[in-house]
Amino acid sequence: MTASRQLLVFRIINIAALVGLLGVLTGSLDLQIVVGEQPCPLCLLQRSGMIGLAVGPIMNLLWGMRPAHYAVSILAALTGGAASTRQILLHIATPGDPGYGPAVAGFHLYTWAFITFAVGAAGCAVLLLFSGQFNLGDTGVLRRKGPMRIATLTVVVWTFVYLVIIAVTVLPECGLGMCPDDPASNESIKTPVGVFGFLVFVLGSLALGYLLDRLLPSDEDEPAITPIS
Amino acid sequence: MMFSMFVLWIVVFAGISRRARWTIPVAVVTMLWSLVLLKLHMTDPIPLNF
Repeated sequence: MTASRQLLVFRIINIAALVGLLGVLTGSLDLQIVVGEQPCPLCLLQRSGMIGLAVGPIMNLLWGMRPAHYAVSILAALTGGAASTRQILLHIATPGDPGYGPAVAGFHLYTWAFITFAVGAAGCAVLLLFSGQFNLGDTGVLRRKGPMRIATLTVVVWTFVYLVIIAVTVLPECGLGMCPDDPASNESIKTPVGVFGFLVFVLGSLALGYLLDRLLPSDEDEPAITPIS
Repeated sequence: MMFSMFVLWIVVFAGISRRARWTIPVAVVTMLWSLVLLKLHMTDPIPLNF
């Protein structure tokens, strides 16, 4: 396999991982905004872990593949996993406890979050086995126009939009102090509005990614990667 | 306090956009802060605390 093809494979894997994480965050935001179930403090800590898990692939794509970026994701998975584990054990320790929030495919969301963190950490560890990706002289996607840069910028913008939404919605629930352990349900929005909002975020991120690809400079004359001899 | 954790992640994103050297240390600090917040929210006296 050529060096550029190797790099393409790893970049696609990182983008796919980000899309998977965004799917999980979409589900949690859907529960909050469309269904009206407010996130508990442990849920917010798990969302923070998801954001941290996304930071590693984002840095890989924008800055180039580095072991330290996978390390950030693994640490975030451990941190988020600690919150998920705490929440799972809380509900196991109390006999007859129905759990917090609705179950999806038989598991509560904090159990799915734990699975996500475990898969994320294991995935990063597996990718670290392929040390060849760090010898390709990758400096990230920002220097070349094209579909890879558009896809990267789309998922980065999308992740950032979700981060801002989560940060903004924390304020009415918790203020600047501690969050309530069992927040009251909120007014929800109608599902078609929620679906419309989701499409606005995704298509808006894609449009912004495309626009940034047009506006950002690129080094068209230089090779994308310079293998280290 | 939870809000401060997400503000720190926004700062990390700003660092990523600027290729700042402090980005990864701030990300690590954010994760440590989230562990502190996790500990602060351990109000239930179950035998699984740390």
